[in-house]
Amino acid sequence: MRVAFFPGCTAQADQIGYEASVRAVMPRLGVELAEMEGAACCGYPPYSSVSEAAWFYSSARDMAIAEAMGLPLFTLCNGCHLSFTETKHALEKDAALKAKINAKLASEGLHYEGKAELLHVFELLHDGVGKERIAAAVTKPLTGFKFGAHPGCHSIRPSKLGRPDDSENPRKLDDLINWTGAQAVEYPGKIDCCGSSLASASGKTVMEIAGEKLKTIKGLALDGLVTTCPFCFKVYDNRQRAIATTIGDRTLEVPVFYYTQLLGLAMGLRQEQLGIELNQSPVDPVLARIGGA
Amino acid sequence: MNAEVCDQCGKCPSACPVTARIEGFNPRQIIAKVDLGREDDFMDSGVIWTCTSCLKCRERCPEEINPYDVILELRREAIAEGRQHPASYDEAEKAVTETGVVSQPQPARTRSRDRRDRAALGLPPAQKPKDQTKFTQAIKELKEEKA
Repeated sequence: MRVAFFPGCTAQADQIGYEASVRAVMPRLGVELAEMEGAACCGYPPYSSVSEAAWFYSSARDMAIAEAMGLPLFTLCNGCHLSFTETKHALEKDAALKAKINAKLASEGLHYEGKAELLHVFELLHDGVGKERIAAAVTKPLTGFKFGAHPGCHSIRPSKLGRPDDSENPRKLDDLINWTGAQAVEYPGKIDCCGSSLASASGKTVMEIAGEKLKTIKGLALDGLVTTCPFCFKVYDNRQRAIATTIGDRTLEVPVFYYTQLLGLAMGLRQEQLGIELNQSPVDPVLARIGGA
Repeated sequence: MNAEVCDQCGKCPSACPVTARIEGFNPRQIIAKVDLGREDDFMDSGVIWTCTSCLKCRERCPEEINPYDVILELRREAIAEGRQHPASYDEAEKAVTETGVVSQPQPARTRSRDRRDRAALGLPPAQKPKDQTKFTQAIKELKEEKA
């Protein structure tokens, strides 16, 4: 399977450990990542408040690049996937807007028709690669480990636009965790928000919202939290110490992994290949138990 | 904005992660005020910028209202009217227009406080527009056409 690879701004600029883990894992599962030359921002939804036309342009332009490559557009970020989905719907409904965007795309020899399929990590790994192939690639099953899945808002809502998983009972990330040999455990608040978009208006509220989920995971004595969204990861992992300080709980120690890091470990890859040295949460005890990583 | 069909059922604030934590942010009340034409009650209070975009209100609304879209519309109005808003919105817009991306690649920190950049992890150069001038020009023209 060949896909046009779109890491998105946050993964490629800031969450490079995630991108490294995806690049390490995918080819070993039979997924070829084709580079998208000249791709730009997905449109970045918050920015649509400032300029909706610019959002649609940047978003449609990336889809046009994938379309020219004749490949599905594979995104790492929940936000990018929703941004592309919303643009696709908007341009489908508004032929004049589509024509206007295409007039601009023509200067770069691009054209948007809406033909490129969009692929989220859940869709590529769960629905595409599938259980059999993942299970066959797992050489060091994570037996005995229990993790909580955090799908993240934009991978499951709004269901009316068609999202990668169910809005009220998402199970794909849980399945993916189970296929590594570990056990995904249901927990209260699984479909809740990480709070990250509030960072510009109220950093303290982000910490409170995210702290609640980390406390739940800790309270259930799980081995960690697993996600595929770089925005959510930035909060739960990169900001975990700040969260502990803000909510006044110094014992809050929750290992956080990108799913592709966890899968890579189960496939016998070394942690340097998976960018795990960049995780800021206390992952070392988990790594020591997996051993040889 | 469809606010007039709101039944005031309260599903949106009960799903909202912000209502419980930030005084004055309540999607149901925002819809009620929009319906009454009383946006000015809150337009400068900062509340419209405190939505996390979790989309639970959009998911759970039994009518076709979509409080999230109403908030986005209010944000667009606020910016168009020159009202105060978080600087990060303008910064993101400027960054995308001028460089094609929201943020430039920077070295990341390891747990042992070393630095790693993309090359150190064996990653190829980050994606960006091949012809930045054309990209910037297209966005500027689209904004002007709209105005």
